[in-house]
Amino acid sequence: MKGFNLLGLTASFGGKRVIGPLSLQVNPGDKIALVGKSGAGKSTLIRLIHERVNRESSLIPQDLGLVNALSVFHNVFMGQLDRHSTWYNTLTLARPFSKDREAVHSLLQSLGMTEKLWIPAASLSGGQRQRVAIARALYRNAPVLLADEPVSALDGPMANSVMTHLRDRFTTSVIALHDVELALNYCTRIVGIHDGQVALDRPSEHLSVSDIMSLY
Amino acid sequence: MFSSPTVRTSLIFLAIAVVGLFFADIAITTANPWQDLGNFFLGIVTPNFFSSEGLMTALLRTVAFAFVGVVSGGICGFLLALVYRFLPVRMFCAFIRAIHELFWALIFLQFFGFHPLTGVLAIAIPYAGIFAKVYSEILEEADPEPGRVLPPGTGNITAFLYARIPDCWVKMRTYTAYRLECGLRSSAILGFVGLPTLGFYLEASFSQGLYSDAGAMLILFYVLIATMPLWVRPKLLPIYVLGAPFFLGEGLPIVWGNVQRFFTEDIVPAPLRNGDGLTGLMPWLSDLMINEAMPGIWNTIVLTQIALVATGILSLLAFPLISNHFGGPIRRGAGHVLLVITRSTPEYILAYILLQLWGPSMLPAIVALALHNGGIIGHLIGRQTSSIELRSDTVQGFNRYSWELVPRVYRSFLAFLFYRWEIIMRETAILGILGIYTLGFYVDSAIQNIRFDRAMVLILVTALLNIGVDTLGRYIRRKLALQTMPTC
Amino acid sequence: MASNLIRKLVLSSVLFFTTAASAETFVFTAIPDEDQTKLVERFSGVADYLSEQLNVDVRYIPVKSYAAAITAFRNNQVQLAWFGGLSGVQARRLVPGSEAIAQGVEDEAFETYFIANTNSGIKPADKLADLKDQLQGKTFTFGSKGSTSGRLMPEFYLRDTFGKKPEDFFSRVGFSGNHTRTLRLVEAGTYDVGALNFQVWNKELGDGSIDTDSVQVIWKTPAYPDYQWTIRGDVNERFGEGFKQRVTDALLNLKDPALLESFPRSGFIPASDDDYEPIRKTAEEIGILD
Repeated sequence: MKGFNLLGLTASFGGKRVIGPLSLQVNPGDKIALVGKSGAGKSTLIRLIHERVNRESSLIPQDLGLVNALSVFHNVFMGQLDRHSTWYNTLTLARPFSKDREAVHSLLQSLGMTEKLWIPAASLSGGQRQRVAIARALYRNAPVLLADEPVSALDGPMANSVMTHLRDRFTTSVIALHDVELALNYCTRIVGIHDGQVALDRPSEHLSVSDIMSLY
Repeated sequence: MFSSPTVRTSLIFLAIAVVGLFFADIAITTANPWQDLGNFFLGIVTPNFFSSEGLMTALLRTVAFAFVGVVSGGICGFLLALVYRFLPVRMFCAFIRAIHELFWALIFLQFFGFHPLTGVLAIAIPYAGIFAKVYSEILEEADPEPGRVLPPGTGNITAFLYARIPDCWVKMRTYTAYRLECGLRSSAILGFVGLPTLGFYLEASFSQGLYSDAGAMLILFYVLIATMPLWVRPKLLPIYVLGAPFFLGEGLPIVWGNVQRFFTEDIVPAPLRNGDGLTGLMPWLSDLMINEAMPGIWNTIVLTQIALVATGILSLLAFPLISNHFGGPIRRGAGHVLLVITRSTPEYILAYILLQLWGPSMLPAIVALALHNGGIIGHLIGRQTSSIELRSDTVQGFNRYSWELVPRVYRSFLAFLFYRWEIIMRETAILGILGIYTLGFYVDSAIQNIRFDRAMVLILVTALLNIGVDTLGRYIRRKLALQTMPTC
Repeated sequence: MASNLIRKLVLSSVLFFTTAASAETFVFTAIPDEDQTKLVERFSGVADYLSEQLNVDVRYIPVKSYAAAITAFRNNQVQLAWFGGLSGVQARRLVPGSEAIAQGVEDEAFETYFIANTNSGIKPADKLADLKDQLQGKTFTFGSKGSTSGRLMPEFYLRDTFGKKPEDFFSRVGFSGNHTRTLRLVEAGTYDVGALNFQVWNKELGDGSIDTDSVQVIWKTPAYPDYQWTIRGDVNERFGEGFKQRVTDALLNLKDPALLESFPRSGFIPASDDDYEPIRKTAEEIGILD
């Protein structure tokens, strides 16, 4: 796919501008980490980018967007609702087809969650919920990943494993991360956001933790 | 304290009710009201379950009408909820739910007669209006986030099924189950106008003073409602829904010509029907308004306002009965039983019983409305206080009631009360059929005199009055920023 | 599964409606002027009798109000009805071709009794006008709103004698619902005064179920025509030629003393619409009929 050039992004909240005007060129193959203080506008920026590239992206929003009453399987399956007909989706709601079951099962296996497949999302822990949202994004299998703090509730090893997955499965990604080390390890480009503006935009190999800390 | 808007509103309503008492007729006219009441309770404790062979059939019919009526109302209400954002749909729903089940039954009786359809539609139509409103509120409150992360290009129906319904499912199910309970009450009172449900036999036993028979029917009715969690099971529901239409009874065949006659002749105002044209219409209408609608509206409003305040006072007195901040488990258990009984008895039946015992005046109606609605609100508030954690060194007894609990629940108490305002008024109007001079009295008189044109105008007036009170109630709730879920 | 469900639903609704519509049963009703149990007892006896005489299924359906009886008759859901004077006039106006075919022997000269609770201190009189001072400001109950003997005639005589609407003359006016109920309410003192069908009074008195220390008759109206059997004009088309005449004959030949006693009537005699002309005029006069 082509990259995308985002020009003049702005967002206001309660009459006060929180983002931009801001421009960002995203090239194919870029793995961008958005870093910055909380409240700098990272989440808003992710949302704005999602509005622009909707159709080609997998989204993991900060509040995950799970349907609490549905099982883990159905929440993951929701990533591909647009690829099936209405009746197929409706039947799946009542009784999933075995090939979908297997696909979702193996995906969850890689995230270490197979035993929870038929449990409603409402009864999961924070970390498990996050992995369901990640699984949904993986299942959607779009070329671009847009994620807002996707591993904030996971412990160290699990966070690393998930980040590896995300890096390998998506060619292009924009991920908001408050963990600077993860950003440096799994992303190729660091974009620092400060007061709704791009304050830093450099390849990660040229940066160290202390360079980024100046944003905070 | 008096500067708080909630307190000020309460005092205004209290004042209106006190003034209303001066205009209301609240005498006890029977010679031995307490002896009759005693006989009645004696009947309740010595129930006669074998009085009438029709009793079990009546019970079965009551359940069947409730199921068919509520399910068809629920399906229509759900479909209406999907298009509820359009103003004409909202107005239509407000209108059909502003007319009481008994009025609908009286209308359908005129052309469907004693066919089961009369009872089914009498429940289904107003319930569809209520379901549409509540379902749409529930759907609107669903978490919008899952809808946003759906892949673009997902079909509307798929999106609705995956991202909306599951989130609302539990609330919708709870509300529908609650409505089914209401449906049982509605179905029972349809018997008072001649359908083959419990009310038919209850009325007959009561008017003959057969209190033991009546007591047995009431007890069976309470048992039916109290055991609902046991017999209304998700797995059994399809059986009930498919089976219920077979148990409505045969009734009498519909003659379709009657339907046409009703709409093209019966409800056309007499002057137009007789060819007097618009010149004849004005005197006819003004006679109807001055001699029937106006006194009816006045009495309906007076009775509603007094009953509303009485309901409020009773709820505040009743909630400690089930609150876990007062008394032990035994007293609370007794409190629960008492409140279940008061809220399961339809107002109409309570009013009917009290009218028999105390004679005709507004008093039985006020007490009946206050008992039923106070039971409901008292139950909801009591449950709410039980979830309040008090600090461990807090006060006891009346101080706990007045300082710790009432201030904390007062806002939701008012919210429930104003929510029920419209319901109380709808019920007040219908109690006129029992002989209190509210709008229902004049509607009933018009029907007794086979003047359906007048009856329809009066029903229309009643509906508009209800819509007005509903609007006012919502305005006050918004103004005072009172929020409530419509599960009461 | 879903199609199966729909099929079941359709099937069930079809069954439901056909069972209701198929049977060609001769159905009749009666105004609910007395206690339910008495009505059911009385009219199931009549149904059995008619069924035997006419060789068709005959069914009695109880209704909850006078208007419901009229409406069922008008809607052709019942073909025959035992009406009061007023309800019969109303019904025949609404159903062209229908006619009165038989009345009770006593119905030619029917009366309404005004009764009073003895605690009210009202003394019996021969003329209603003499009771003016005693009645004024008392509480009063009619029977049903659509009753002839319980509402129409007493209201007519009250208006005629005192020149006022009943609600302006008495301190409280109620509608008890039926004659038995009127008797019980006045007996219990809920109302000081009431008006009821003299046959109900006489029967209850004969049965010994009136506490004569608590309630007494204070005035009797002049005689007027009352109850009658009214039949729809189209029964011959539906049940065969001469059916109307067979129903009439069956009623006139009803001699079973127990059945007659339950009405209570000593027998049935022919009646015609014209017999009820005075009732129609009275109803128009007090504004019950347009």
